[in-house]
Amino acid sequence: MTAPQGARILIVDDEPQIRKLLKVTLQAHQFEIHECADGEEAVIQASIVHPDLIVLDLGLPGMSGMDVLQRIREWSQVPVIVLTAKEREEDKIAALDGGADDYVTKPFGMGELVARIRVALRHVAKTTDEPVLRFGSLTIDLAQRQVDLDGSPVKLTPTEYEMLKVLATHAGKIITQRQLLQQVWGGHHHESDSHYLRVYVGHLRKKLQEDPTRPRFIQTEPGIGYRFLLQD
Amino acid sequence: MQQVLALLPLTSFFVPPFLSFTVEDLRYMFSFIVYLAVAVLTASLAGRLRQQLEVVKQREITTNSLYALSRQMTAVTDLHTLLGNIVRQVSLTLGAPAAIYLPNAQGELQVTSSSEDSDSIAWGEGEAEVAIAKWVYKHGEIAGRGSSSLRESSGLYVPLRTEDQTHGVLAVNLESSDLQEQREELRLLEACGGLAASAIARVKLAEEARLAQVTAESERIRTALLDSVSHELRTPLTAIIGSATGLLENDSLFTPEDRKELTGNIRDGALRMNRLVTNLLGMVKLESGMLQLRRKWCDVGDMIGIVLTQVQQFIQHRRIRVELPDQPPFVSGDEVLLEQVLVNVISNAIKYSPEDSEIVITVKVDERHGRMTIVVADSGVGIPEAERERVFEKFYRSESSRHVTGTGLGLAICRGIVEVHGGTITAEPNPGGGTRVCICLPTEEPEASFPYMGQGEEE
Repeated sequence: MTAPQGARILIVDDEPQIRKLLKVTLQAHQFEIHECADGEEAVIQASIVHPDLIVLDLGLPGMSGMDVLQRIREWSQVPVIVLTAKEREEDKIAALDGGADDYVTKPFGMGELVARIRVALRHVAKTTDEPVLRFGSLTIDLAQRQVDLDGSPVKLTPTEYEMLKVLATHAGKIITQRQLLQQVWGGHHHESDSHYLRVYVGHLRKKLQEDPTRPRFIQTEPGIGYRFLLQD
Repeated sequence: MQQVLALLPLTSFFVPPFLSFTVEDLRYMFSFIVYLAVAVLTASLAGRLRQQLEVVKQREITTNSLYALSRQMTAVTDLHTLLGNIVRQVSLTLGAPAAIYLPNAQGELQVTSSSEDSDSIAWGEGEAEVAIAKWVYKHGEIAGRGSSSLRESSGLYVPLRTEDQTHGVLAVNLESSDLQEQREELRLLEACGGLAASAIARVKLAEEARLAQVTAESERIRTALLDSVSHELRTPLTAIIGSATGLLENDSLFTPEDRKELTGNIRDGALRMNRLVTNLLGMVKLESGMLQLRRKWCDVGDMIGIVLTQVQQFIQHRRIRVELPDQPPFVSGDEVLLEQVLVNVISNAIKYSPEDSEIVITVKVDERHGRMTIVVADSGVGIPEAERERVFEKFYRSESSRHVTGTGLGLAICRGIVEVHGGTITAEPNPGGGTRVCICLPTEEPEASFPYMGQGEEE
């Protein structure tokens, strides 16, 4: 796998100013940059240059960002970070459910975008069959189904454990409410089921001794889902 | 005649010779005459009394219907409903079709309300009727049956007049030809006409007043918007352009610290513009009714956590303390919008309070009344009592806080959002100095069939 530094990134945005901003900054961070301004070209470029990551603007003229994502997902698992204008929660959810790895809201801070890019690239590089996940004082032993916090075991219900597992194996990445419901409870879920999640996350947070107003592990992404925080 | 008949039994049964109409004694003739005179007198009195009773009954009906009409009219502010009511009431009282003519936008008189179904051609829409109505409207005089002009017409036309103006014409298609009845109907119509005219005048004036107010308000808002936008957008833009051109043109002059300072300046200016644009867009959404609630069960503790991370970047040495109940409540609402409310309120608390002061966020649950209150208390300058309501108005900025930048939109948006959720937001003095903003929202229990316990067996 390609290391984060020097990774090849494809930027898809119709605004020249934003492309320029992204190109200059990301090149300064030692990434190799390819860029294009519309959806059709993006699909072609994705298959020619084989980028390690794609930064995709959802609001493209002509072929929309969502269509581009769908076309790319037909044959590639390359990480995709979507750029959106803040107003549309449903766009972000649709993109994440449709296979995007993360989103960044316009206007964004460059530091945030670079951090997200790093997480997404690292996630690909990381082997998923690692049996023990460590996050600071929290250890999750996937083989033993054992969770330890500060050296002492945490008693979790099966559902709580499943939730923690799904979140932690995607650490740093956002998991939408629907994805979480599907992976923990299985089957089809309605949007209104999301309050199960709130209650379970509340219980999980209590057991992990988290202050909901200052989360240490599980961060709520308003209106979208949850993100397990990477401990630095 | 009745009186004479009444005399007959007296002559045959009580005056000798009995069972005969012959009168023996002439003195009885005198009695008969007196008796007849009294009978005639009482009968005519009774007759007149009965007639008066009829008139009084008729007047009662008239008064009743006028009373009903006037009561309806004070309650209704919509002109169309009002005219409909008048026509219906008049038509009901007189048992005859009625219509009201008002001038349209071109000043042409036409039927605006009719007591008859709109399917059939209603009475009053014929050429002759409209012509008479026009004459009445022009001259401001009553015309038609029972009046002094155009008696041969079947309708009666009353102008709707206030002191200085004729607003329209009320017309009724009368059938009766009894002079007495006509007089009553005329009186009733005149009274109804007077009521209708004053009601129309009232509605027109109210409409004019409302328009004037709206114009004044939109004028005020436009000025405020221009002022605030030009100031609030220009200031950060100046900072951005100034810093950027400085960096571009004199790059070699700056030390790395200077450069950091200038780029930080650019970022802060842009962030400030972004806040302004977000608020302006929010206001537009609220005003245009585009705001749609995506109600979900929101965990209030979680929400506060999200808001605290959002305000982290401009918190600047203020301590924020959160007091949550053991069981933080769930509210049904749009979490993104409610968070925006909290961000605005907490940002205000930060903006208007001194450095190193404490801001306390308290969540209280009143289960009995099914409501929850989030109180954000700061120890800042406070809001004078006279302005505690006004700070929630659009573009209102308190005189005492002119030195702090802002557009006066934040709290107006907060109130809009909270009210859409069926809650209230108020500002009150904080006992320890400063301001307390209370956001009160209705709470409900999430659906009872929640399966947490069912699946929650311990491992």
